[in-house]
Amino acid sequence: MARVNTVLGPVPAETLGIVAFHEHIGYGMPGSELDSKWWKTPEQKYEETVPKLRRFHELGGGTFVDATGICNGRDVDYYKSLSAKTGVHIVACTGFVGGDTALTHFAKASVEYLADQFIHEITVGIGRSGAQAGIIKVGVSRGGRMTELDKRIYRAAARAAKLTGVPVMTHLAIDAEPAVEIFHDEGLPLDRVVFGHVDDGVNADKTNDVWIAEQGGRIGFDTFGYETELPDPPFWARPRQERLDHFLRFIGGPGRLEMVLASADANCSPLGWPGVKGHTVNYIFDDLIPDLRKAGVDEATITTIFVDNPANFLTLHV
Amino acid sequence: MTDAHVPRTAAVNSVVGPIPADQLGVVAVHESLLSVVPGAEYAFDIDLDRVTIFDTLAAKLREFKAAGGGTIVDTTGMFHGRDLRLLESLARVTGVNIVASTGMGPEENLGGYFLTPQTNPPTPWPAEKFADLFTQEITEGMVIPRLERRNPAGLIVVEADRAGITPTEVSLVQGAARASVGTGVALSIRWGADAVGDVTYAVNEGLSADRIVVGGCDRVDAVNAGVAAELAGQGCYVAIDHVGSTGPAYIDDAARVALVVDLIAQGFANRILLSSNAIGVAAGLEAVEVPFGFVVGTFASMLRDAGVSETDVRQILADNPRDVLTVRSEKKA
Ligand SMILES: [Zn+2]
Repeated sequence: MARVNTVLGPVPAETLGIVAFHEHIGYGMPGSELDSKWWKTPEQKYEETVPKLRRFHELGGGTFVDATGICNGRDVDYYKSLSAKTGVHIVACTGFVGGDTALTHFAKASVEYLADQFIHEITVGIGRSGAQAGIIKVGVSRGGRMTELDKRIYRAAARAAKLTGVPVMTHLAIDAEPAVEIFHDEGLPLDRVVFGHVDDGVNADKTNDVWIAEQGGRIGFDTFGYETELPDPPFWARPRQERLDHFLRFIGGPGRLEMVLASADANCSPLGWPGVKGHTVNYIFDDLIPDLRKAGVDEATITTIFVDNPANFLTLHV
Repeated sequence: MTDAHVPRTAAVNSVVGPIPADQLGVVAVHESLLSVVPGAEYAFDIDLDRVTIFDTLAAKLREFKAAGGGTIVDTTGMFHGRDLRLLESLARVTGVNIVASTGMGPEENLGGYFLTPQTNPPTPWPAEKFADLFTQEITEGMVIPRLERRNPAGLIVVEADRAGITPTEVSLVQGAARASVGTGVALSIRWGADAVGDVTYAVNEGLSADRIVVGGCDRVDAVNAGVAAELAGQGCYVAIDHVGSTGPAYIDDAARVALVVDLIAQGFANRILLSSNAIGVAAGLEAVEVPFGFVVGTFASMLRDAGVSETDVRQILADNPRDVLTVRSEKKA
């Protein structure tokens, strides 16, 4: 039986539909909740979020994977209400965006403790919500090199993934050698890991996506829409055509199509930063899929990228 | 009409609003009610049961009151478990005045928002931004994160790394000092490796020494370096604030009595503060099980036995903390 953990309980992988595999309901750096300049009323949050998810649903979107780490404003009870009222499956993650977003309690914890935290959130549930995490988030801290804490989190994630069968997603795929080594070391097959953000403007040049794919890792092109053409682009933006070319070049390689995932990394309603105006998860439908069609990508390939690959990836391997 | 020359009633910011300074009674100036290591609230193995927490703290506060305590200052700052609605309820139910604090530290306890912001490069916060954050907690009220603001903070607390103050902690101290200058709410510094140096960062921001509380003056390294007398000499309040605790890093209570006696002999009775840094309920760290009333009960008796006068005991336990907590008018006379 192919099961995927969503915030409203496990669902058959066959029912996921089109998956946006790396998105955020709302993301903020830990501590941003103390700065009232970012606060929004619940009315405002729902108003900013619900129409985007409904439109996602209407356009054929089935599943929204929230990649917001434990300390970044992850709010599972809120996700449950959004999922129930919009019909979009929401998959919540356990884990951390990077060591630099893990607060003291976790930053000082052992690999064993971190693994227990992840396993609990996957098998028992997150906090008192009862919702089980469907994926583990890990990542590279700011600075471009994996820190000792990043490595501890990767190792704990590998153990929890191996034990529970959920996959792992990374924030950034730079400095991938130590990551690959840790996953090997812990016996986690690399196709249970998607190495994300290979396509962003800051890191694309420093990311050896082909090498990671050759090792067996999945590759996440997941910052689609953060474009230098935007009126006020963020620092990780990249020219639209350059990213698209990169993606097409990558999937053109042997055996690569099955290893690729694509998403927009948009915030429905950002928590601790202004967000990027006009960028939503629906970039996938409004821009990305049309761009792929224009470039001659056929429907079967589009289904592979947005339906089959994520379903295989998110299915609990037990 | 301007209010610049109208003397204001001296007031202290408590969690339920301003209270007259002369109603504080005996004050425990450096304590923690609920103390939660940042992140521990998300830990799978920590259950923050609100009923248990409330009952435990209410019992401890009643014990404090029965021992002669009037006011307790929660020095957890804004990011270490501060639960304002809990504190407000406890104040109402127990009759103990509770003063809550703003501020943060040490650096390891700061969130990524302050250390690696979403900018390129990720430059840690400068002093000015910390000053604004803490000032707002006093002029607009303390935050319940992402929800609402409550009453103004009554103390600003910062802490530096024991291995030595970090550059971000320098910004933190400087920002906190600016907030103190601007709002008239006092600053408490838990120093890193160099008490005098850490305090100097605050003084250099124009903060008067008598608005600074220096914690940890009963650390072994503080006593060896004569920190208390030196900083009291500069006009700071020196907090001998681990009363009731023993351990390799701190002197014991007998030595604390000797330190107090010595400071009084040097004329610093009006600069001494006593407290226990007890933790009522701890999550993610060890509770410090010293009763909140230990100073006003047991330790005060030890002081009297050592010949400290009733006037000096009163000065240290009530008058000094009252002067610290009284909000200074922004306009100096
Ligand atoms: Zn993301």
